[in-house]
Amino acid sequence: MNSPDTTSPAPERTHLRLGFVALSDAAPLAVAALRELGARHGIKIELCRQPSWAAVRDKLLSGEIDAAHALYGLVYGVQLGIGGPRADMAVLMVLNRNGQAITLSRPLADAIEHGASVKDALASLGRRPVIAQTFPTGTHAMWLYYWLAAHGVHPLRDVQSVVIPPPRMADALVEGALDGFCAGEPWHAVAEARNAGKTVAYTSEIWPDHPEKVLACRRDFAALYPATARALVRTMLDACAWLDSSDHRKEIAQALASAELLGVPRALIEPRLVATDGGDARALPVRFFDGGAVNYPRVSDGLWFITQYRRWGMLDADIDDAAVAASVNQTALYRDAARASGIALPEERRAATLCDRRVWDGGDAAGYLAGFEIRA
Amino acid sequence: MLRVLLVTDTDKPIGDLREQLARMGYDMLAEVAAPSALHKAVESQKPDVVIIDTESPSRDTLEQLAVMNKAAPRPVLMFSNDADQQFIRAAVGAGVTAYSVEGLAPARLAPIIDVALARFAHEAQLRQRLAKVEDELEQRKVIDRAKRLLMDKRGMSEHDAYAALRKRAMDQGVKVAEIARQLLALSDLF
Repeated sequence: MNSPDTTSPAPERTHLRLGFVALSDAAPLAVAALRELGARHGIKIELCRQPSWAAVRDKLLSGEIDAAHALYGLVYGVQLGIGGPRADMAVLMVLNRNGQAITLSRPLADAIEHGASVKDALASLGRRPVIAQTFPTGTHAMWLYYWLAAHGVHPLRDVQSVVIPPPRMADALVEGALDGFCAGEPWHAVAEARNAGKTVAYTSEIWPDHPEKVLACRRDFAALYPATARALVRTMLDACAWLDSSDHRKEIAQALASAELLGVPRALIEPRLVATDGGDARALPVRFFDGGAVNYPRVSDGLWFITQYRRWGMLDADIDDAAVAASVNQTALYRDAARASGIALPEERRAATLCDRRVWDGGDAAGYLAGFEIRA
Repeated sequence: MLRVLLVTDTDKPIGDLREQLARMGYDMLAEVAAPSALHKAVESQKPDVVIIDTESPSRDTLEQLAVMNKAAPRPVLMFSNDADQQFIRAAVGAGVTAYSVEGLAPARLAPIIDVALARFAHEAQLRQRLAKVEDELEQRKVIDRAKRLLMDKRGMSEHDAYAALRKRAMDQGVKVAEIARQLLALSDLF
């Protein structure tokens, strides 16, 4: 496994700077860097922690970082120029599925636990609840909006949707500045440990095995350096495969706890990362590989985010949404890399039933969009 | 007058950036240092321009406001595909990011970004740009005062006053601001 690969084209670039945000699901990048998994594919990975998703975007566009651990939706937001710069982007592969959650303040979570509906619990505040997420076009915003709407709560009218840095979310709950938040781990574990709130929903309950973080770069990077992009995908596939073992996840939880990576105690990272012990029975575990089922950049996954931007009034451009998704998601590059690594390719079509009992398989995006009652 | 909000929630020193911008005539809003205060500050004080450390953890708060609220400032350094890639790299590299309201002419934003870049970066080249901006602003003030003098004392129109200064400058082969300075110095004598 550690012998150099001599059958593949040599990467045009050998030193790659990879951006990441302090989250448990940055684990594949940590594994790739710490275990030097790039060596076999002729690349060296340097990790560059970023303080915000906006910084990830700007540094991808400026070239200060080559690729990044990014919210699926962030890539599509930049591709479509929603609320900021527009640039041609690439999704090289999916890095993980599941592993995010919604936490509400203790009184709200207790009310729901005792049988109140989400709608009634939020209405009991007598004011617009303030619920945070992490980036306007990101995955957490879309999971939160979808979940609220499925419970009959209009996410734009009935709720004030704000963004604050995830490390600040537990404090904001304690101070009463927030009533809840949707973000990645370990920030829900941190909020519960501080008795600031309680996890009321796991994102796998919203969309089982939903796509979450992706390996993103600019489209021209993938086009200019195809052998580099291929080597990077193969390296990250090795890292994701390594994470399929719970012993390995425990090992990386220790590494993630360090100040340079997450700076959060291991005891708060490990349970929700390993999930085989201490995990909540309602949640599907965060998945990084699953024989390669996780990682294929299925075009219908990307298209789903565009349907949601249209639903919430963030996009009204007359464009071919499916063609946009097909140009962003680098399926050919992924297939080539996976084949070279002997990793099985999943079926192109995948149907999932979401929390509002609606089925998404990418087949009829217009019909899916038209079927939402709660929308902007 | 443009309303400018400085976000200072990182430990990067910004020196006298605030005073500098105030001297240039911008309406400087109360600084925001806590991430939780930023949302309220933007909604209630309605800045035209927000200057923030590229490395600030609060930037995503501004991104949310830009998408949800059409009147809120949007990220501007890379506001279009035609944006100068070198300038973007310099700005991101120097560690300053600006957000501005839609429709604000880039020319009105440029001096603010120039000054902020210089303050954030402490680089000689950027210092020169700052000096140039300050110099141009000073020259404009001197020329305005000289024009006003000619208009008051000689009953000239603004157009004619400027034309007179310009002709003298061309005759002597110096800058208009230099002629304006000479004129003001002379008028101080009498």
